[in-house]
Amino acid sequence: MNPILIPIVLPLATAFLILLISEHTRYMKETLAIAVSAVCLLGAFLLLASALFSRQPEFGAQWVGYGMNFALKADRLSSFILLAVSLFTFLTAVYSFSFEEKGGAKWFYFNLLFTQAFAAGAVLSDNLLALLFFWEGLLLSLYLFIALSKPGQASKKTAMKAFLINAAAGLCLLLGVTITTYIAGSMSMSGISANKLTLDGWAAFGYILMLIGAVTKSGALPFHTWLPDAAADSNAPFLAYVPAALDKLLGIYFLARISVHLFALNGAMQLVLMTLGALTILIAVMMALAQTDYKRLLSYLAVSQAGYMILGIGALNPAGAAGGLFHMLNSAVCISCLFMTAGAVERRTGAGDLSKLGGLFKAMPVTAVCFIVAAAAISGIAPLNGFFSKEMIYEGVLSAGFTPFVIAAELGSALTLAALLKLGHSVFFGKRPEELHGTAEAPFSMLFPMLILAALCVIFGFGARLPVEFFLVPGLRDLNLAPETLGGFYPNPLFWASIVVILTAVVNHMFGCAASQGKACRACDHISHAPVLKEIYALAEAKFFDPYEQFMKRLPALAGIIYKADRFFDYLADDLPSFAANAFSKTSQRFHTGSYPLYLALTIAGFIIYIFFAAHYGGVK
Amino acid sequence: MINDAGLLAYQLIPLFTAVLIPFAARRKPGFSAILANAALLAGLINIGYALLKPANLAASFANIKEDGFSLLMIFTIYLVALCVTFFSAWFMEDRPNRAAYYCLILTSVSAMCGIVTTGDFFTLYIFVEALAITSFALIASDDSAAGLEGALKYFLLTCPASLFILFGIAFLMLTAGTFSFENIKVLIASGVPAGAVVFAVSLILLGFLIKSGVVPFHAWTPDACQGAPAPVSAYLAAIVTKISGVYAVIRIAIMLRLFEIKSYHTSELLMFLGMLSIIVGALAALKAKEFKRMLAFSSISQTGYIVLAAGIGTPLAILGAVFHLVNHAVFNTVLFLNSASLEKAAGAGEMRRLAGLEHAMPWTSWTSLIAFLSMAGIPPLAGFWSKLIIILALWDGGAEVYAVLALLFSAVTLAGLLATQKKIFFGKATEACANVREARPALLAPVVAMSVLIIALGVFFPYIYSYLIETIAARLIL
Repeated sequence: MNPILIPIVLPLATAFLILLISEHTRYMKETLAIAVSAVCLLGAFLLLASALFSRQPEFGAQWVGYGMNFALKADRLSSFILLAVSLFTFLTAVYSFSFEEKGGAKWFYFNLLFTQAFAAGAVLSDNLLALLFFWEGLLLSLYLFIALSKPGQASKKTAMKAFLINAAAGLCLLLGVTITTYIAGSMSMSGISANKLTLDGWAAFGYILMLIGAVTKSGALPFHTWLPDAAADSNAPFLAYVPAALDKLLGIYFLARISVHLFALNGAMQLVLMTLGALTILIAVMMALAQTDYKRLLSYLAVSQAGYMILGIGALNPAGAAGGLFHMLNSAVCISCLFMTAGAVERRTGAGDLSKLGGLFKAMPVTAVCFIVAAAAISGIAPLNGFFSKEMIYEGVLSAGFTPFVIAAELGSALTLAALLKLGHSVFFGKRPEELHGTAEAPFSMLFPMLILAALCVIFGFGARLPVEFFLVPGLRDLNLAPETLGGFYPNPLFWASIVVILTAVVNHMFGCAASQGKACRACDHISHAPVLKEIYALAEAKFFDPYEQFMKRLPALAGIIYKADRFFDYLADDLPSFAANAFSKTSQRFHTGSYPLYLALTIAGFIIYIFFAAHYGGVK
Repeated sequence: MINDAGLLAYQLIPLFTAVLIPFAARRKPGFSAILANAALLAGLINIGYALLKPANLAASFANIKEDGFSLLMIFTIYLVALCVTFFSAWFMEDRPNRAAYYCLILTSVSAMCGIVTTGDFFTLYIFVEALAITSFALIASDDSAAGLEGALKYFLLTCPASLFILFGIAFLMLTAGTFSFENIKVLIASGVPAGAVVFAVSLILLGFLIKSGVVPFHAWTPDACQGAPAPVSAYLAAIVTKISGVYAVIRIAIMLRLFEIKSYHTSELLMFLGMLSIIVGALAALKAKEFKRMLAFSSISQTGYIVLAAGIGTPLAILGAVFHLVNHAVFNTVLFLNSASLEKAAGAGEMRRLAGLEHAMPWTSWTSLIAFLSMAGIPPLAGFWSKLIIILALWDGGAEVYAVLALLFSAVTLAGLLATQKKIFFGKATEACANVREARPALLAPVVAMSVLIIALGVFFPYIYSYLIETIAARLIL
């Protein structure tokens, strides 16, 4: 078999195999899933090595015809993304090994491997139609993941929300792909990139539709709203796997593909992208500040990180794009790690509410250390990985000449750190509540993936050249961008800016703690209870800014209007003619009385008119 | 035409038989039915063989020398008349004045054959009057009040028609100096004194429009059909009014070459009246309470299609009109004879007293359904092809609005007809219909034969088409 098919076919086959395994077996499904995901990881390694050092593996099969071929291609960018996807699959499989609240093990691992297969397919597709097939196929596991994660109706409702939002975005993507391939005359991405499209007329429309698909997948504003709901209604492995890692990888990968590879963007679109990125960073992190639930707070941070990536790619220069892709990797690592700590804490304490947690550092030291490393990394504290990726993004945006966006992003960094300080302080430090005294450290199967991810944070920080040189720069070369290699760590103005950011966040936290009489979980209340912001927060909590909820609220009225319109057309097409026909035939019944004078009068009137016409037009006059 | 001595026999033999019947059947009244049937059957076999002999089929009818239109009409007249007399023979076994009834039928057959074979207007007029007189007598032949009223209405409302025809003929003599179809054709084609001639012919046309019961001259048809004895109404609606009116309308349309010489606007007038008949007939049929009255209104609507096609006047349209005329005769015979059977079996013609007769009278139900579907133009029945040709010809001739309207009202017709079928035959049987039994096989025989013919004409349409093309459409061009 072609090695490029292994990360797709093997997990898919195993996923269905797992459904056949009896529910009574212990650890069999888990072991099988871990083994298969390990094989996939190995396969992804080999693919990347092949793409980097020899030829790029390809696979092509005739599918529908008319240019709709099943074409896979592992170029250096997609095999790098594939490696990341496979890594997260493997780590999630290990993490879930003894995680009990994951719903039925059978379905959880089915979803996990199914997602791995389809995500790998989406990443490796060279044909836009094949990509669309895998992309939309992920909707199935997204729905199942959330719906089966907990018993009860709440998770079903959230699953439907996630499904509908992503399906609507998927439809946009479908339309965008249709328009783009029609204009380009090709469905092959390598074919289109050879002759890049410019944004004019329909091409711009097609690009925007595909952009909606990519941005929604990555979880950016304004289609992120299912994510905080999922944080409450589903479990940590899902959150660590799909929204924190896979959605970022796929969404940003595709965003980079279309923005850099397939289209030549113009200044206006660049501005749109960067504004979207900056708004996502700020609004989401402001929402994160006000949260009092562990996973919910993290879910807003996950949304906010997508903003950095969009900002970086929107810069449209090598440094920005490299920073965006690097931050995609880093944020996936960090946020995934953070969600895993959330799962560990929840598993051991049974609580996710920050006011019920505290002082867990001594009880769960490894988890706490992992949390601290990941939180520091994602806040951009040097010299961890997040610092470097953010610095590359800032450099890119600055060299594109958009200083205000950098300031907004730095502000976002400060608020991210403030939110994480609040979170870390209230969970791991301070006074431990009475009922948490018997808390023990999480099991090794959960610590192992966290440790790996935390280690990656450190490795990608101190050895930032490693991922940049081996993964990003070759990948960007495949997008026809030629970035310079990373300069390394030195105290430039951006470094000092990051110091200022850290100090701001710490001061803010200390002020907040003091203002709330030492209650760390309310350390940000001085922001969320500020005069105008309070009302806005209240509206946001009431889901006033949620397009989905607003749409659903108006759906009955809309359905009513459509129903009325339908009745009207039905009346026009059905009732009105039959009413008219009835009226006419009733009249004619009343008229045909058999009265001779009436008939004769009618006949004679007919004669007269007929003769008049015949004489007039017959030319006799 | 009149100089075809061979066709004269179709006129003379029924006439002789009619003269013979009072003498031959004086002792045994039943003998009159046998004589009449024998005469008509002989004529039908004769004309059938003349049309369908193997040599004709092999040459796809190109070797028929006579006018194909006349031959087809003679065939139809004999067919319908035979069905009606055969039906009457079993339907009115105990009527006192049967001999007179058969005499009248045979005389009217003779008159109709005269109409369709004649070649000039004056002879046409004579035969039309003869046909009208036999029709009055036939309608009133059961001595009922309704029959008398129908006959009177028919007479009084169509007597202006005779007037107009006579007046038109006189005017024609003044302006053209000839009655002959051939001469008038030449005259109109040359276009010399065309205006006045066209006016004269238009007057004659008006007379025949009244006789064919086109709206707004239709008021007598429902009453006449309702009042007449059941088999007579079948005879009247299926063939008599068509031959005395619609046939002549088509003849004149051919003569005026309406399609080529549009400037006289007679075409517009004819098409408008045709369309009006389609609409009024179809809509009025929707709410009719009596089965025969409903059939009469549908019949007006179908006449409208023929007149509409004659109005556009292209060879294709004429072909469709002729075929629709034949189809109309066939399915109307089936329906009116069925209505007679229903009236006899259930004792009622009002539709609200009839229901659920499907199981009691399966043959009547099925044959009615076939005839209804053919009338509404459902493939593969015969009516579908004629309507299709008419609508295609309308579209082709540039009358797109009429084509669309014709199609639309074909759907209205279908709705009305199926509603009638449902009311009478489907659903739960009412008390009046609880003990109804199927009509006798002898009464069913003509109806079933005609239903088979409806299907056959539809299925073997290519033969019919080549007949119409070779003997009518191809000869329309001078």
